[in-house]
Amino acid sequence: MKGLIIKDIMCLRKQLTVFAFILVGVLAVSVMYVLSASFGNLAEVAKELQNEKNNLSARDVKNIATEALILFMLLPAATVCDMVFVFASDAKAGFVKVAATLPVPLWKRLLAKYMTVFALFGIGAAVDIAIAGVLCALGNILTFGEFLGIIISATSAMCIYSAFVILWCVVLGSGSEQYAQLLSIASLIALFVIGYFGALKNFFMALLTDNPDSLSEILGGPIEYIKDRGGVFLIAAAAVCACTYFAALKIADRKRGVI
Amino acid sequence: MDDIKNVIELSHVSKDYGDFKLDDVSFSVPEGSVCGFIGQNGAGKTTTINLILDVIRRDAGEIRLFGKSIDEGSAALREDIGVVFDEMGFHEFMTGRDINIMMKNIYKNWDEQAFFDNLKRFSLPSKKKCGDFSRGMRMKLQIAVALSHNAKLLVMDEPTSGLDPIVRNEMINIFREYVVREDHTILLSSHITGDLEKIADEVVFINGGRIVLAGNKDDILERHGLLKCKKSELEKISTSLIVSSEVGDYGAQVLVNDRHAAAKLYPGMVIEPAALEEIMIYYVNRARG
Repeated sequence: MKGLIIKDIMCLRKQLTVFAFILVGVLAVSVMYVLSASFGNLAEVAKELQNEKNNLSARDVKNIATEALILFMLLPAATVCDMVFVFASDAKAGFVKVAATLPVPLWKRLLAKYMTVFALFGIGAAVDIAIAGVLCALGNILTFGEFLGIIISATSAMCIYSAFVILWCVVLGSGSEQYAQLLSIASLIALFVIGYFGALKNFFMALLTDNPDSLSEILGGPIEYIKDRGGVFLIAAAAVCACTYFAALKIADRKRGVI
Repeated sequence: MDDIKNVIELSHVSKDYGDFKLDDVSFSVPEGSVCGFIGQNGAGKTTTINLILDVIRRDAGEIRLFGKSIDEGSAALREDIGVVFDEMGFHEFMTGRDINIMMKNIYKNWDEQAFFDNLKRFSLPSKKKCGDFSRGMRMKLQIAVALSHNAKLLVMDEPTSGLDPIVRNEMINIFREYVVREDHTILLSSHITGDLEKIADEVVFINGGRIVLAGNKDDILERHGLLKCKKSELEKISTSLIVSSEVGDYGAQVLVNDRHAAAKLYPGMVIEPAALEEIMIYYVNRARG
């Protein structure tokens, strides 16, 4: 199984190179952002936004500053691994046929794909945590705990997306990776809508009724949630990974020659 | 006398795809032999090999490898099987070194030294991406992998198709060296019967998803013959001897399934030994009616 994980990581070589460049970029930009937001021009802008004319609370301003930082922190997690590349690369090479003749049972071949996902997102999360440590030392936009919550939420969301990619690639078979990618995004969105139906309903109602106070409240809600409830995302990721694994295993066993 | 051990045993195996059916396939491959699996394109060779390797699920019948049913854990059995396909199957960015790293973490018996020795022997650069290899080099790379984990059985699906005669000959020599060890067996599927005539001990001939002929190659070649006669003489020949015939402007050619019996019955007619290719063509013609 280890050999198959190594092979998957080899397939992601190019993406990992891009990841390294993104990492350097994110580190540079986020450090500049935190310094500026704590002591520089962005800090001045934040003060101006809180005056009577703009009618924004300190919490609103913090949320705006946090949103940008969350985006920076999401980038490494989002770019470390896309299993679509692995499946597409396997399909192009005809490796599925080779894999089926290796002395590795189907359940381990499938598990290897999940292990690749966990290993790479683990690396992505570790690097993100290191960046968070640096950012905490430089400014006070977010606490380390809040950073940790964001990283766990982002990594968990990406794990859910990857689990759906694996499932759909198995369901659709070799050569349908692009459809699998679209269906995975759709599945992730569907899961999000089901999970947060009430909150989304409130959000759209606020949009339709043009109630700015309520909108600001609702926009701040998810940010707080992402920061504070990383554990919920983690549990959701574990549940989705387990469910998709068993579903994909059953399908792969019936279809044969898809993984 | 020692019992002959069968490395591969197929018993009444069937697989139905709707538009193609592998029907009641039964044959066995004895240990230490080279079994040529012949048939035209689309006859069911690859399907049979995929069934043997448990890559696809069979509808009926039983398959045993090394005396064990493949249902008892085919993954463990594959530790002793080297597989070569008609296409390489490794990612084009991979080098010999990459393949070694991957395989040594997959096969328990992976012999790193043997792998690099094989690469050297087949003149394959270990640092070059296999996407840059020629077709012959790609096939040799697969064989190098198959020979580097002490496999007792090599299963090869059309390994020589599309290769020039020099490379084909090189590969046949590699196979010959492999079967020098008594416990090494080869199942070699090909429609290039000339290659099989050089190396095979056993022959299994499949056509339209059914086994037409199976047995010792020398026996098959010894038994069959090409009888040449005038068109008017064709009716005299016993139908039980005729596999099929070809009638031309100057006479007729008949493949007979017992050339010694035919020689006794028709002493005036010329009967020549038949090559595997001719046997295959006449049997296919018979099936086509």
